[in-house]
Amino acid sequence: MSVVLASRPHARRARLTVNGDTVEADIEPRTHLADFVRDDLHLTGTHLGCEHGVCGACTILLDGEPARSCLTFAAACDGADVVTIEGLDDDAVAAELRAAFTREHALQCGFCTPGMLVAARDLVLRLSEPDERRVRLGLSGNLCRCTGYAGIVRAVMAVIADRQARGETAGGHEASRMLGPVGAHCPSVEDVPASLHAVSGPESAAGTKAPPIPVDGTFSPAHRFRQTFTVAFPPEDVFALFGEVEAVAACLPGAFVEHLPAPDRIVGGLRVQLGPIRASFRGQAVIERDEAARTGRILGAGADAGGRSATQGEIRYAVTPDETTGTTSVTLDVGYTLKGPLAQFGRPGLVRDIASRLTSSFAGNLEARLAGAPATRNDVPSGLNPARLLFSLAFDRLMRGWRRLIGRDGPRS
Amino acid sequence: MKPARFALARPRDLETALSLLAEAGEAGKIMAGGQSLGPMLNLRLVEPELVIDIAGIEELRRFGHEGDRLVIGACITHADIEDGRVPDIGDGVLARVASGIAYRAVRNRGTLGGSLAHADPAADWLTTLMALDAMVEVASKAARRRVPLGSFVTGALATALEPGELITALHVPAIAKGARFGFVKHCRKVGEFAHAMSAVVIDPERDRLRAVTGAIDAPPLVIEDAHALLGKTRSSGSVRRFDPGIVDAAFQTAGIEDAVDRHVHATVLRRAIENAWPVMPDRSRRQAA
Ligand SMILES: Cc1cc2nc3c(=O)[nH]c(=O)nc-3n(C[C@H](O)[C@H](O)[C@H](O)COP(=O)(O)OP(=O)(O)OC[C@H]3O[C@@H](n4cnc5c(N)ncnc54)[C@H](O)[C@@H]3O)c2cc1C
Ligand code: FES
Ligand code: FES
Repeated sequence: MSVVLASRPHARRARLTVNGDTVEADIEPRTHLADFVRDDLHLTGTHLGCEHGVCGACTILLDGEPARSCLTFAAACDGADVVTIEGLDDDAVAAELRAAFTREHALQCGFCTPGMLVAARDLVLRLSEPDERRVRLGLSGNLCRCTGYAGIVRAVMAVIADRQARGETAGGHEASRMLGPVGAHCPSVEDVPASLHAVSGPESAAGTKAPPIPVDGTFSPAHRFRQTFTVAFPPEDVFALFGEVEAVAACLPGAFVEHLPAPDRIVGGLRVQLGPIRASFRGQAVIERDEAARTGRILGAGADAGGRSATQGEIRYAVTPDETTGTTSVTLDVGYTLKGPLAQFGRPGLVRDIASRLTSSFAGNLEARLAGAPATRNDVPSGLNPARLLFSLAFDRLMRGWRRLIGRDGPRS
Repeated sequence: MKPARFALARPRDLETALSLLAEAGEAGKIMAGGQSLGPMLNLRLVEPELVIDIAGIEELRRFGHEGDRLVIGACITHADIEDGRVPDIGDGVLARVASGIAYRAVRNRGTLGGSLAHADPAADWLTTLMALDAMVEVASKAARRRVPLGSFVTGALATALEPGELITALHVPAIAKGARFGFVKHCRKVGEFAHAMSAVVIDPERDRLRAVTGAIDAPPLVIEDAHALLGKTRSSGSVRRFDPGIVDAAFQTAGIEDAVDRHVHATVLRRAIENAWPVMPDRSRRQAA
């Protein structure tokens, strides 16, 4: 059978084999294989849990090997052989596994089961003996919320043992396969999009004029953090400079000031970058200063371009003379709360690394400024240089959640 | 969540990929296995206008030898190495590391080049290949260059790749005769990113002990002469003399602030030294799970 699906704008034509049928379709590049088989081919046996490669529910066979269909784009699989759980109806190993799963009570709700069966089948084909440790290792990439794994492990071990008893050897099927990512085949025609910018990209956050979100004076930060540095200038100069919003922003890479509606108010934002992640927050801040104590507080709130992530933060600063060295020491106490998709991320130590680099670049710029140097270029440099005092803290959480999603802090089940 | 809209290019050869990358500039993003980029796209943490899929390029899916070095194409996967489809530099050294990365379904697509370009400080290849003194081969439209892995990684998730450059291959030197290799990855759940990780190469003939501690919040820490960590003794029995005090001080200097973290990293390093096994010349072996 051959299926041809209707064309769509921006789509790329790809031809795949799905469960033995040739499917030729115009596929939007951002459509991953799981959505493609579910939404376009109505093969809903493939389940989606995390969409980050962690849970294993979406595991299918690509060129005969297990792969995450949530992390594989369908249009990039031109020429690939795809087998979903529906395609394993007549597969001998899958049939044995189904029987064993039933016998051993290896499923309850069945949500994880399609991915579990694909991973289990791969183990049966690769393990030559029913070694519980290796079975458990091999299933570690498939999460089940129901069964506690005991039945699943028993089922897989039973099938391996049965096959072994029948003299069916495992291993070797993978030895001859092509090198490189499964499912990725060299396109037969050199294929370069006519115009690179045919697709309108994400809007630059700095350019989007969402109304600045209000500052809540009563907020109490979820995370706190302290940084100190010294500058070789008298405390009164340093404190005076802290009072010039635009000068401070110029020292903070990525920061931008749009306007100052009142002497103690700023509308502006911060562009941040961590590796390939770029985010831009726009919002407003309120400034309080205590001339006598040489302390101050900046309280701000901002949101990213789509308004999906929002943050609130405060920086309390204290400028104190260092009598012994004749320099000035600056203490920054930072507190912040982050909400939205970005809030799923973060990792404390990384932030220390970022924040210390950040503080030193801020201190350097501040010092240059006090020495009368011209304004520094206020762009976000590429690489890990994430600008940004205030929001570097956001990345703390960012990385922690990232680990959780990709497994480092591990979804515990 | 679903990725923002992007255009997809699937160049057939490296030259076309490099031209596209040069032309696209900031708007372009390389994709190899998509096992790190995919989650970021799905979460819209990265929103490129153009994704340049290099996974099909034959030149990047090969391996070869150059003198006593193994040259592994950037798009060789973790599973290729785990299964022994690519020769190992010594008895199961690379295969063992590969088999502990993520899960089989991820290893079937995740590539060596992608892992190094992503430069997660907790990535297994980063620490391992640093200990093995590997070099990264990098190409742009204008030129090709080789960068020692130690200077390739410039920070957490940051590399020395210039705009328009991509990784084409890794050069891994053969392990010296009689040398031993140790690798310990510590995590709560198998297949996840490490909380602590160490790789060591011990070469008794040259009296060398090179250790790398990864999974810290900065690029992996290379200790060129780790004998210093072992107190005064310099025999192979010196492992028993592993001095946690010296290691602790070294980690403190390296900026690992938390005492518990330092303890964990030190323990993992000690185990990597203790468990280092003699490396035989390549006998590619197969592992499952
Ligand atoms: C659930 C899960 C668990 C994981 N656990 C671990 C783990 O325990 N240990 C570990 O080390 N890794 C782990 N990973 C990451 C995995 O190893 C990835 O395969 C790898 O980091 C990225 O390789 P890739 O080929 O998929 O790269 P991609 O995702 O395609 O790309 C990653 C980045 O590198 C860039 N890039 C890719 N190739 C090149 C190139 N040749 N030149 C220049 N830039 C390039 C891309 O632009 C992108 O920024 C895990 C991933 C998942 C999903
Ligand atoms: S949905 Fe693909 S691994 Fe969770
Ligand atoms: S059976 Fe319900 S999630 Fe596994």
